[in-house]
Amino acid sequence: MKRSWRQATALFGGLAAIAIIIGLPFWWVVTGSIKLPREIIQRQPTMFPHSFTLQHFEKLLQASDFPIYLLNSVIVALFSTAFTVLMALPAAYAFFRMEFPGRNTLYRTILLAYAFPGVVVLIPLYGLFAKVGLIDSPAALVIVNVALALPFSIWMMRSFLATVPREIEEAAVVDGAPTTTILVRILMPLIAPGIASVAIFAFISSWTEYLFASVLIVSDARRTIPVGFAGIIGQYQIDWGLLLAGATAAIVPVVILFALVGRWFVSGLTEGAVK
Amino acid sequence: MARLSLKSVKKRFGETEVIRGVDLGVEDGEFVVFVGPSGCGKSTLLRMIAGLETTTEGRIEIGGRDVTGEDPAKRGIAMVFQTYALYPHMTVATNMGFPLEMAKRPKDEIDRKVREAAKVLHLEQYLERKPRELSGGQRQRVAIGRAIVRQPGVFLFDEPLSNLDAELRVQMRIEIARLHSELNTTMIYVTHDQVEAMTLADKIVVLRAGSIEQVGAPLELYENPDNAFVAGFIGSPRMNFVPATVKSANGNVALVTAPQAGLAELTVTTRGAAPAAGSDVSIGIRPEHFVAADGADATLSGKITIVERLGGVSYAHAQLGNGDMLTVESRDAREFSTGVETSFGIRQSRVFLFDKQGRRV
Ligand SMILES: Nc1ncnc2c1ncn2[C@@H]1O[C@H](COP(=O)(O)OP(=O)(O)OP(=O)(O)O)[C@@H](O)[C@H]1O
Ligand SMILES: [Mg+2]
Repeated sequence: MKRSWRQATALFGGLAAIAIIIGLPFWWVVTGSIKLPREIIQRQPTMFPHSFTLQHFEKLLQASDFPIYLLNSVIVALFSTAFTVLMALPAAYAFFRMEFPGRNTLYRTILLAYAFPGVVVLIPLYGLFAKVGLIDSPAALVIVNVALALPFSIWMMRSFLATVPREIEEAAVVDGAPTTTILVRILMPLIAPGIASVAIFAFISSWTEYLFASVLIVSDARRTIPVGFAGIIGQYQIDWGLLLAGATAAIVPVVILFALVGRWFVSGLTEGAVK
Repeated sequence: MARLSLKSVKKRFGETEVIRGVDLGVEDGEFVVFVGPSGCGKSTLLRMIAGLETTTEGRIEIGGRDVTGEDPAKRGIAMVFQTYALYPHMTVATNMGFPLEMAKRPKDEIDRKVREAAKVLHLEQYLERKPRELSGGQRQRVAIGRAIVRQPGVFLFDEPLSNLDAELRVQMRIEIARLHSELNTTMIYVTHDQVEAMTLADKIVVLRAGSIEQVGAPLELYENPDNAFVAGFIGSPRMNFVPATVKSANGNVALVTAPQAGLAELTVTTRGAAPAAGSDVSIGIRPEHFVAADGADATLSGKITIVERLGGVSYAHAQLGNGDMLTVESRDAREFSTGVETSFGIRQSRVFLFDKQGRRV
């Protein structure tokens, strides 16, 4: 398909506009974190930093609780991601392949979990966790994050499973592979992009989760980044530089995650299997 | 190596009966081909033998053992799929060794058997490749290799060559025939392809709408079909059917006539008692069985509308008086010319008679 230069300009112009809209806040945060406090709060904002300093990062790492928040967040997010993936995969496979009464109804129903705003379940959940002694425990956050991420993850995973030709599974059945082996040795490698998508979704959901983390965690030392940030604001007035440095640092693990799992996003994995 | 027997086997998907009571015995080492029109249940029957579909009713025995409710892996079968169904992320060697690995065989035994199979299938230099780095024919050979290493009692093939191009198909067909004569294992093979069926089979099973129409050796079906369906299905191009009337009957000899096809009179020997005078029948004659008009037992005549000249043979498509089309094969390309009313000779020994229900008489 050939595009005229008009179309091309419009297309690239449009893309550039979208990229700027998405990228600008990030640019703002990242550049802001290396500006001198004076420049950050100056009346005329600067697009490009005129000054350079690492003082905010220094303060962030040495004089604030940020490293602890970061560690807490990483732990909660990693566990949430792992459990989400480990549970979504067999659940999706069951919805996809196994026949049991009420399968379709159940499959549609699980998304109803998103029909309730978090606040609605927050109070009963608090009571529940209080009874079993999970208040102020990272485990509570992991449970909540997994519960929130699972329904959508199952949906995603199932649609990836649907791309694997049925015959491959049947061949494995004839070859004598038990269901778990089929899942682990055959399907998992073939839907690696799907697993990566689910993992990223679960990680980011947990990474940015604020509401439950703010209520279920009580002690400062167990806070995750989003809640911890709120603390930074109060604790030191509003230290914009510190806040921007914290936000920048908070992006880093997500970027690392994308870099790590990004290579799984290769298409054509099933190529050569059938036809 | 194993015998296989199906006893009143039925399959229903919900309300619809797809296999309607099939009885079939397959001898040890036999090559059996299932043919039939699309949707007649060939794949379903094969998958029932494999255990990939449950059997609604009846009994399946492999090697004298009832396997009706058995897991596919425990039936002593191996299956080759139309779409190869290789494991795309595994190398050729891992693909072929997978069933042995699942059976927890020791590593050196797996290696040895994979190498043996690779040798038989000329895949030795591809063992470390992934399926996507292979050609279609090579992929199908890997799929066959994966079946061979298990040393199954019965091989099941579901249209294994239909994804290959014409030339490769011929090559692989010969390879499968060679494989069968080397391994001497029972093989069940589903195909749409006449040539594959005729050349590979010891025994052809013709299916229609979930029932067996006829079972027999390829030439038996060709020379002695039980009904018009089998007669029309085996042989290419299809047999011609011309409506006719019985003029007189005497024992197992019938005198038939088909004036609208230019057939004055033809004596046909029937299988049993000839149908009574006045009955409507149809005569079946294969395109390749027409002879020169002079000296023939009788002639059919029609106006040639199209001539297809393939080099070695030519096909004339002629329109009969009643509008039906007739296909006539000839070795002589110049014998036919379009638009000419032509007489085609037939020999009574090459003519079949079918009653109104399509049964051979
Ligand atoms: N899972 C299923 N549920 C319902 N009906 C089915 C199912 N599988 C097959 N059928 C029906 O059973 C019939 C036989 O199908 P089958 O695939 O065995 O045909 P086939 O002879 O292999 O045809 P083809 O030559 O096109 O491969 C078809 O009418 C099909 O629609
Ligand atoms: Mg089929």
